[in-house]
Amino acid sequence: MSEEGVTPTELRRVWDLPTRLFHWSLATCVAVGWYLGEYRGFDTIELHFFFGYAIGGLVAFRILWGFVGAPASRLSALLVSPATLLNYLREIGKPRPSYWAGHAPLGSLSVLALLALLAVQATTGLFIEDDALFAGGPLSGSVDAKTQGTLAQIHFIGSRLILAMVALHLLAIAFYSIWKEEDLIGPMISGWKKVRTDHKAASNEATSTDAAD
Amino acid sequence: MKTLVKATLIVAAATAMASPALSDPLEDAITARRGYYQVILSNFGPIVGMAKGAVEYDAEKAATFANTLQTLSMLNNGHMWPAGSDNAAMDGKPRALPKIWEDFPGVQEKGQAWAAAVGELASVAGDGLDALRSKVGAVGESCGACHDTYRAKSF
Repeated sequence: MSEEGVTPTELRRVWDLPTRLFHWSLATCVAVGWYLGEYRGFDTIELHFFFGYAIGGLVAFRILWGFVGAPASRLSALLVSPATLLNYLREIGKPRPSYWAGHAPLGSLSVLALLALLAVQATTGLFIEDDALFAGGPLSGSVDAKTQGTLAQIHFIGSRLILAMVALHLLAIAFYSIWKEEDLIGPMISGWKKVRTDHKAASNEATSTDAAD
Repeated sequence: MKTLVKATLIVAAATAMASPALSDPLEDAITARRGYYQVILSNFGPIVGMAKGAVEYDAEKAATFANTLQTLSMLNNGHMWPAGSDNAAMDGKPRALPKIWEDFPGVQEKGQAWAAAVGELASVAGDGLDALRSKVGAVGESCGACHDTYRAKSF
């Protein structure tokens, strides 16, 4: 706070390998899945379904990893207190890196929101069908037409919300890179991130779970 | 007094004649167009079944279904879409969006694209499974183009 610029930092393996693999797999599946859904065709609609299953599986894995993964990947690290969030928001406009040892507080909420949206999206997809393409999710026969219509509407709105979250995600990375001069992409590739040494949020458990990656 | 009775009788008779089946013209139009799409489905469904391998390809049947589809695509169904038969006016009963009546050129364009795709399908449907497959997708996709734009996803 007051010791601007002199906050001691160190290089730490913040993102474990499964988290990184998860991240890039999810990014790919969401991009391809969205494209195949938005521009769905008679011959490619089944592929959209497969990417949906993959996303469902990835989200399930991420929730599981939230209990056993490295500290920064833990769900407990994502559940930020309002006080932490407020403190972070007070500082967010400052043109210097956060050196946060994991997801920054606002980013944590974004991760939770995105995971929830993707879970809803993958689930609603199982129950709906496209009557023009004569294709439907594996459970589309198990609900009545009215329910299916409602779920289709949720699936459609969900796609818009996910797009918005992805845009926000990319904007936040650009904001960090340009304004705050902190690279967030590199760490998600290598796992190594320059973090504040006084950030115990993650370091508490760091030694015990280093073996995870 | 006599004239009043006469006038009342005439009005009553006229009212009775105007509503022969005591039905709502909007409801009738919706029933009619749903039936129309049901007939389309009953002809296109088996063709899709053949294309997807769920039903064995039969050149004669495929050609008959596709030709019937083409005939259906030529029918004038404008009267099945009276103003006021949209989902906003009828409280979600139909799924037709008001946009249909606001953007008629767009509807027409998509309808013509569908008719064109059906025409292409009809010209090859009897020429073998591969020929059929090559034209089925475009028909389904042109159906979907209208559904996505002019039909509500839920009731």
